[in-house]
Amino acid sequence: MESRTRELLDEHMRENYRKTSRVFSILLAAQWVFGILLAVVISPRSWAGLASATHVHIYAAVFLGGAITSLPLYLTLTRPESLATRLIVGVAQMLWSALLIHLTGGRIETHFHVFGSLAFLAFYRDWKVLLVATVVVASDHLLRGIFWPESVYGIADPAWWRFLEHAAWVVFEDVVLVFACFRGIDEMRSIARQRTELEKTFAELERTHQIVTRTEKLAAVGQLAASVGHELRNPLTAIRNAHAYISKRVLKSNAASDARTVQFLGLQEREIHACNRIISDLLDFARERPLDLRPCPLRPLIEEAFSVVTARDGVDLVNEVPADLPVPALDKDQFRQVLVNLVQNAVEAMPAGRAGTVRVSAAGSAGDRWRIAVIDDGAGIAPELHARIFEPLFTTKSKGTGLGLAVVATMLKRHGCSISVKSEIGRGTEFAIEIPLQTPSAAAA
Amino acid sequence: MARILLVDDEGALRVTLAANLELDGMEVEEAESGERALELLRSAPFDLMLSDIRMSGMSGKELFQRAKELRPEMPVVLMTAFALEDIVREVLRNGVFAVLPKPFDVGHLSRTVQRALRRPAVLVVDDHEDQARSTAAALRAIGLRVESISDGAGALRAIEDRPIDICIVDLVMPGMSGAEVVERLRWSRTDITAIVVSDYVVPELMQRAAANGAFACLCKPVAADELAQVVAEARGRADLRSAAVRAR
Repeated sequence: MESRTRELLDEHMRENYRKTSRVFSILLAAQWVFGILLAVVISPRSWAGLASATHVHIYAAVFLGGAITSLPLYLTLTRPESLATRLIVGVAQMLWSALLIHLTGGRIETHFHVFGSLAFLAFYRDWKVLLVATVVVASDHLLRGIFWPESVYGIADPAWWRFLEHAAWVVFEDVVLVFACFRGIDEMRSIARQRTELEKTFAELERTHQIVTRTEKLAAVGQLAASVGHELRNPLTAIRNAHAYISKRVLKSNAASDARTVQFLGLQEREIHACNRIISDLLDFARERPLDLRPCPLRPLIEEAFSVVTARDGVDLVNEVPADLPVPALDKDQFRQVLVNLVQNAVEAMPAGRAGTVRVSAAGSAGDRWRIAVIDDGAGIAPELHARIFEPLFTTKSKGTGLGLAVVATMLKRHGCSISVKSEIGRGTEFAIEIPLQTPSAAAA
Repeated sequence: MARILLVDDEGALRVTLAANLELDGMEVEEAESGERALELLRSAPFDLMLSDIRMSGMSGKELFQRAKELRPEMPVVLMTAFALEDIVREVLRNGVFAVLPKPFDVGHLSRTVQRALRRPAVLVVDDHEDQARSTAAALRAIGLRVESISDGAGALRAIEDRPIDICIVDLVMPGMSGAEVVERLRWSRTDITAIVVSDYVVPELMQRAAANGAFACLCKPVAADELAQVVAEARGRADLRSAAVRAR
């Protein structure tokens, strides 16, 4: 937050340096042209007898002016943002004042160029530029005032305090301008701060919007799933009933001698069962069932879950929950479903043909958080998928609805639980469920 | 021969289900609506009514309520394809024998129907005799058949000669604890489901009861209608183990 403000302020200041440098590019060039014109108009040619020669002021305007202008002009065009450019522009501008004052023969009105220049330099909003410029113009005044007073004051013997009078006016203007510089920077900083806040608010808004969109999408998926699932259940029940009847009849009759008939009846039953499971998954995901929180010993619950999971040869299921673990209050049916899905996934995470172990552990006590972990030593999940595995309809299996973990996430959310995943490719995966501190009414106290 | 009234507005489902029940040796009368079912109920008694919940016209819930007035002794099993959680909860708390979610396994439906036809009773076991009696009375008022007894050993004797399918047992009792009753039941009577209630959570006893297949653990005080709901849930439950075996 603070760093972003500084970044924005910095950006804003650099932009101001660029703009101001551009102004000075034009101003410096214009001054040069103006200086030459001034020299030509005021002292074009001087006469020495019959010979007429170009006055030395014209050479001064062309060459001295050129010398003063060229470096800062080059820098404002090539390095408009650098500190050196600003300082050199400050020096050059003051030297121009000095030259113009000289060219006009020390006219007092030309001294106003100094004040105008300081005001322009204040556009940089950098007190250092004003300081350098002031030092330059003051030294010039002091030295020329001593050695060549006509060039500064237009007269040969100015009063001794003239320098102090001029310097006082310059310092007075400097105070005002430095104050303005600081105020300008303060304003820029507060704008930067506001912009940072705006950006933050906007980012938050964007995030909220994404969450809302996602939630809406999930709700839509859920509704669709629920209505399709429900509508399929009646016909599926009729099919199942009809199949049960036909099976019983056929298996008692002569047709049972046909191997194909028997085989297909079994196939039919399995496939009907598969349809049923998909529908159940869909409805588990969509269904908003009220929680029945009751004391639920974990070790036997995990045994129950193991008994429902479709086992695989070579994959061991190990219940590591201590028998004397205290008893949390949970919705037994929903939590069994959560564990069944997690354990089933863990079993299927074993690469084909490889032996493996799925372990379930739990820890916790009344008045504390509970933690249940389902750990396998299977194929692991790639890190980039960790965020997506709980999304509905996301699956890496060739045969799967992509609802297993979405159901897990939804059911746990209803319990107020969180789930996290740790995984390493080739080493295995751990899903950890955290059950929050239970309120006295929910806990079986 | 058991006479069953089967009510469902889905013709295909009704016909196929009736065929299966008839195959199991039952006499089935079909009704395509709640109104028609009530007509049949008025004219003759049935041993059991099996009805869908969501139907056009009279709902299964309403039909159950009207049937309860007409034939209070007749067990009612309801079926639903929809997640009508609130309605299911309400009917379970009001004495429906069981609610089966569609699509059910025909064998499971058949077993549930057979069980209901036996008109089984619930046995309440609590060492506080007055508590046992009041729980039994409250469940009876809901429409369940209930007996009560005040010690574990007595409970094990009682189940021998009475048609009991659910045992609601207090976890902590002098003599034989509730957990021990559950454990004995597990080995001797697989047809009886245990439900454990307790004044306080005793983890070891609760673990032991759950490990031995207690259907649920409830904390006292348990409202009678909630207890009735759990009893009906236990009666309608498909055996997890056999369901898993079929899935393989």
